[in-house]
Amino acid sequence: MPATIPLTGGVRWINECFAHEDAHEHVSVYLIETETAAILIDSGSFYHREAIAERIDQATGGDGPEAIVLSHSDYPHAGNISTIRDRWDDVELVASSGSPELQGLSDAQRCTIGDSRTVLDRRFSFVDPPLADRSHTAWIYDHGSGVLFTADGFGSYHEPADCDRTSRQFEDNVPRETIYQYHANNLAWLRYVDPEKLEAALASIFETYDISYVAPIHGHPISGRELPEFTNRLVDVAGCIASEYEVPEP
Amino acid sequence: MAREIEPGFYWIYEGGPDRSEMFAAEGSSPAWANPDEAVYIPQCAYLLCGEEESLLLDTLSPAGSDHILDELEALLDGDGLDYLVVSHPDVPHAGNTLAILDAYPDATLVAPRYGDDHELYRLDDALRVGEGDEIDLGGYVVAFHEATFLDAPVSLWMSERTTDTLFPIDWLGFPHGESEALQFVDELDAPLGDDRLVQFHGRVLFWHQYVDVSKVKREIDRLIATHEPEQLAPAHGLVVRREATEQMTRMKGVVEEIERRDRIGTLG
Ligand SMILES: [Zn+2]
Ligand SMILES: [Zn+2]
Repeated sequence: MPATIPLTGGVRWINECFAHEDAHEHVSVYLIETETAAILIDSGSFYHREAIAERIDQATGGDGPEAIVLSHSDYPHAGNISTIRDRWDDVELVASSGSPELQGLSDAQRCTIGDSRTVLDRRFSFVDPPLADRSHTAWIYDHGSGVLFTADGFGSYHEPADCDRTSRQFEDNVPRETIYQYHANNLAWLRYVDPEKLEAALASIFETYDISYVAPIHGHPISGRELPEFTNRLVDVAGCIASEYEVPEP
Repeated sequence: MAREIEPGFYWIYEGGPDRSEMFAAEGSSPAWANPDEAVYIPQCAYLLCGEEESLLLDTLSPAGSDHILDELEALLDGDGLDYLVVSHPDVPHAGNTLAILDAYPDATLVAPRYGDDHELYRLDDALRVGEGDEIDLGGYVVAFHEATFLDAPVSLWMSERTTDTLFPIDWLGFPHGESEALQFVDELDAPLGDDRLVQFHGRVLFWHQYVDVSKVKREIDRLIATHEPEQLAPAHGLVVRREATEQMTRMKGVVEEIERRDRIGTLG
């Protein structure tokens, strides 16, 4: 397995997997190599602690990241913050949480959803995510590479043979069924979704930002070329999840 | 801080940070808040001591670690804790799970059977419960339910049968002023208006912006008919002792209001 899988503009995918009975789920992190530093997006799960630390070490020539930008405090995203900060000195932590002490992130610098800020030498915008579970989740847009990191959004499960694939390595994009399985299992509120409202919110983000890749934590990175069709499948899947759920008679 | 709701049924309260600046920064000085007071959106844990056994629902946030351990020691008064129920593995709910299990090593960890990522949350060894499962504590009997309005997929709701209390976890929360801490809603000077419920749900269950509102309203009607609770004990609000179903009914207007507005803000 390569230490990292390069996407674009210095962004590298560090893909780890959690095996469910019949499918894999990615629990990934991303590393951005800027001209002067390395910035980690999320920190992964404790479950992959050694592997992630090793792969970061290899990718950065032992220097480690200078900053971690966190999408939200959910354990599979925030599980290795202290490991990384213990191993490498002076790793800055940036998070969108409004009350970091309640999330166990006491010394995090706060970024505000809807705002932009520069971390080291890189400009990020923090986007209000239409597909998320936790309230304080931010999607993170990296202006340097055009990659939009979507936390729990845009996920999919995958076959054990497909761990290293981005959307580009599929003959016909990421399979609809794997997008369906991920969203049905993980975003419970989609049973109430109005797919048109979801589609409009996604369209407005895609109009605002010029996107080279969508980079989910729990799925294959999706290149701009495959993004429109992936999004069609996603909105369609959301509509199916909603139509399959009828409110039961009391 | 804690308050006894019924004999042996305790409400353990963590106010968390003052939120008044959050409201001020967003240009809304809430009419219900006294401008000289702090505003809190609390984390609440609930301890039920039956004649035979005891059960704690949720753990407060990592910032409340000493507080929950001190309260447990005082309220259990030398008795052990039998069950620790984690409603969902969200940090402000589950953040002290390991600390409590360290202090009460005989306690059984109880977790939702819903969702499929238990190992990623270190809940793979927990007793997994859901709809149809009950624990009889002697006197108090708790029943577990699939969570209806939730964030994480590994989630449950709970009810207590003898008091007809529903524990709707992340649903039915709302902010309150410093002087209202640990008051029952029927004790508040100013009646609880919809605006407080809109502020909470528009932030925490922000996905209400993207839903079919009529379907959510049908779900609320189903919840009322299914549970018909006498009391509500939310994780992020004050306890409702009276007119619980009326409070749930009001949520139908609240979800309509959230849909009408842009995103109100964030929390957490
Ligand atoms: Zn996640
Ligand atoms: Zn895999």
